[in-house]
Amino acid sequence: MRTFSGFTFAAACVALAGSATAANLEVVVHDLNAQALLDAVVYAEPISAPLPPSREIAHATIDQVNKEFVPLVTVVRTNTEITFPNSDDFRHSIYSFSGAKSFTTKLYSGKQAPPVLFDKPGLVVLGCNIHDMMAAWVVIVDTPYFGKTTAAGTSVLKGLEPGDYRLSVWYPGPQFQPSVREVHVGPDGAAVDVKVDSSGSSLPELRARERVHKH
Amino acid sequence: MRIQRLRTRIIIFFVALLALVQLAAFALVNAANSHNARHKVDEELSVGERVFERLLNQNAQNLTQDARVLAGDFAFREAVSTKDTATITSALANHGARIGAGAMLFVGLDGEVLADTLAPQKVPRRFEYPQLLQQHGNAKGSSTADLGALSGKAFQLGAVPVLAPLPIGWIVVGLPVDDAFARDLRQLTSLDVSFVQYDATLGWRSLASTVDKDSEADLLRSLPARAVNSSSSLAATLSGDVHQIRLLPLSDGHNLQIVAVLHRSLAEALATFGRLRKTLSMLAFASLALSILGSIVIALNITRPLSKIAGAAARIEQGDYSRSVEVERADEIGVLASSLNHMRQGIAERERKILTLAYQDPLTGLANRSRFSEELEAAIGLARTGANALGVSILLMDLDRFKYVNDALGHSVGDHVLKQVARRIEQIAAAASCVARLGGDEFAVLLSGASAEVVARTAQNIIAALESPILYQGQPLDVGTSIGIAHHPEHGADAQTLVRNADIAMYAAKRNKSGCQSYDPHYDTNQQEHLSLLGELRQAVEANELRLYYQPKVSLHSSNVNAVEALLRWHHPKRGIVAPALFIPFAEHTGYIKVLTQWVLAEAIRQCGEWCRNGLRLQISVNISARDLMNRELPDQIAALLASHDVPPVLLCLEITESGFMEDPAHAQKVLDRLAALGLRLAIDDYGTGYSSLSYIMKLPVQELKIDRSFISRMIGNADSSTIVRSTIELGHSLGMKVVAEGVEDLEGWNLLRHLGCDDAQGYYMSPPLPAEALMAWMRTHDGFSAAPEMGSAETALASQAGNP
Repeated sequence: MRTFSGFTFAAACVALAGSATAANLEVVVHDLNAQALLDAVVYAEPISAPLPPSREIAHATIDQVNKEFVPLVTVVRTNTEITFPNSDDFRHSIYSFSGAKSFTTKLYSGKQAPPVLFDKPGLVVLGCNIHDMMAAWVVIVDTPYFGKTTAAGTSVLKGLEPGDYRLSVWYPGPQFQPSVREVHVGPDGAAVDVKVDSSGSSLPELRARERVHKH
Repeated sequence: MRIQRLRTRIIIFFVALLALVQLAAFALVNAANSHNARHKVDEELSVGERVFERLLNQNAQNLTQDARVLAGDFAFREAVSTKDTATITSALANHGARIGAGAMLFVGLDGEVLADTLAPQKVPRRFEYPQLLQQHGNAKGSSTADLGALSGKAFQLGAVPVLAPLPIGWIVVGLPVDDAFARDLRQLTSLDVSFVQYDATLGWRSLASTVDKDSEADLLRSLPARAVNSSSSLAATLSGDVHQIRLLPLSDGHNLQIVAVLHRSLAEALATFGRLRKTLSMLAFASLALSILGSIVIALNITRPLSKIAGAAARIEQGDYSRSVEVERADEIGVLASSLNHMRQGIAERERKILTLAYQDPLTGLANRSRFSEELEAAIGLARTGANALGVSILLMDLDRFKYVNDALGHSVGDHVLKQVARRIEQIAAAASCVARLGGDEFAVLLSGASAEVVARTAQNIIAALESPILYQGQPLDVGTSIGIAHHPEHGADAQTLVRNADIAMYAAKRNKSGCQSYDPHYDTNQQEHLSLLGELRQAVEANELRLYYQPKVSLHSSNVNAVEALLRWHHPKRGIVAPALFIPFAEHTGYIKVLTQWVLAEAIRQCGEWCRNGLRLQISVNISARDLMNRELPDQIAALLASHDVPPVLLCLEITESGFMEDPAHAQKVLDRLAALGLRLAIDDYGTGYSSLSYIMKLPVQELKIDRSFISRMIGNADSSTIVRSTIELGHSLGMKVVAEGVEDLEGWNLLRHLGCDDAQGYYMSPPLPAEALMAWMRTHDGFSAAPEMGSAETALASQAGNP
């Protein structure tokens, strides 16, 4: 259940923002081979309208289970505190050299690690100093309209005021260079099909390992 | 050039054979070695290639391992993530120094060189070997290594990703490919290692090598003038050594190619074989030397005894049979040696026998003529050296009456006599150097260093010893001898002359019946005279210098002259008349008598024919020698002469001395029978001097007997001689022969002969031999002689002749 805490939070935000006339933006992401991509990061920023005000601090959690970050891909709005609980029997030491948020924790177990505030938009790649193979992506966006695609490659951004949006789609890879396009969202919302280059991504590899662990 | 010596041939054969075999073996081993060496080098190169690749990999592993430590360093990653180039470069330099890397680079994910310890100022730039990064583009952190040039230097490059935790770049580590690197590789592969770089524009360039500069230059020259795409092999001569070369292309980037060259000197590979070759050569030389030695020994083993045998054969050739060949061996040479020894003994034995036969008279056991000659020569040789002051004397003798003994009593008796004589001479001449039977009844004694008295005494003793009769089956046989003595040096300088002179002396002794006679040069003068006579005598016949004189035979009964004896006279242009005694014996000796007899017969028969035509029937007597009797054609020749001059055979009388028959009585009888059959008269001349057996004479067809003049001259006042004359006359008459006396020189003799009943007389008392004309004149003055009627009518003439001879 904790896995979906981010979504719960996001859904709550959308619900709050689109209280009057809100529409949904449905984005379907495929790779170049027309395969639906899971965990592609999708977010939309209004081009002319001001961003809806954000609450003071949001919260998110990235767990560590079986030497894996769970989830592997996280999208948060700026000023979100992420907690890194340790579900393994051994200790981890989380770090990031990313420009958006550079930090490191001491070796810890359980919930000893203090939450980290991500206050700048950008990509943060998380690693563990003890376990080189652990990696996770945190994308910090400056908009309340964001999401990750499901296994079907779809992500529905909800509660959008009709208008023009800059839609960014990024599949976790070596470089943070999202695929950006402008989308007009009507009162009935909009649907966009996006193709991204997923080659060079180490995500499927990480996920495969995770699957092995789960089984 | 032909090699004559067996030893040399054996040695050459063996040594050449061995040398050939060894040469072949050496060539084979050499070829095998060479092949093996190539093969080995190839194998070494293959192994080296694998080892080399493995080493490069291992190097890469080590490099990346080391680099990975840095890549994992938190601070370094932090520096990288903050893009702090100065920090990154210093961290790389620091770490590079620690791990011995010549170059350390940080390359970003986009392939940009962000930091370079080798050329810090040359950043950012594109990394020259992107494929090095691509090889592990995935983020797994596997490593790779390759060769490449950085800032003009060669490096083995390794790359490791820097993870944060996803790759954020690469650390590229470069291990300098320099001579030290090559040396390290060589140590591990045992191969020479060079790294060369090919540049399309500049060609080959050496980066590092384990060989010296010259070889390096040679190596570069021998490389193909293009990039090498795959591992390949070639051979090249580097600094005079043939190298097998393996080219391993290691990188191909920026149109620069780096090739690892593994090479191995064949000479080095052959070095081990060189030792083997050296050992082989030493072995070959040793065995060659041994074989030379061995074949010398074998050859000597064969040729030394052969030389010995050859030496022995040479000794045998020279007549030295005393030493045997000393080769004690069981093999063929030993058999040869022992055969030679047997041969030597056989030859020695046979030669001894031959010598005995050659030098010994088998009948008497005395030395023979050859032996005597040799002994004499030896003695003379010794005397010449002065070793013998008394000189050398020889006694030469023959038995006076041996011929008659032999003829009358047979050869077995003769042999017995010879043996006895030999024994007696041997006994007396015991001190002689040599007693020999020279042949027939001829004996010789050699006295070396004996005084004249000893010689004379020995001769006298021999004469005395042979005077006592030799008994044969109780019958005494009378021989007796005449001895000629010659003394070296005065009677002859050499053996031949000495023997000849002794012979002359012996004949002199026989002639004057002195028994023993020393050589006198006077005899030799006669001899010389004889020799010169031979030529003159021949001329005499041709120049008609010969004349026949005729001495009348006067009948003692009738004083008539019925017959004449033809006597040969030589009217020598310078010497005047030469007595027959001076040349007849000589002519008999040389055989020239035949010619003389021919001449005499022809002349006598011609004269007789002439007289006949003039009505004078005078019988002519001609002397025939023993040699003439040997002439089978004589009867025919005489018959022809008689016929041609129309002379009745009865007018020719042939006078033959006793010795004339005795040479070969059987043959003589045949010839005489044939002559008698012609109707000739035959007379025995000089009867009484020989030893003719009466029984033999009786068989001969002889009509006349002429008593020797010696008896006639001695018969006056000598009872013995007159008895002989009388008995001879009686004997002749009893045999039906006419008896003629020769040498009647006075009336006393004439009368006595008449008294004794002798038929005819011949002598100076009546007439000397006269030429034909003088004879005719003499005949005319002695009336009655010329008429020459029948024998019966001669009686009438006797009275008128008696007082006037």
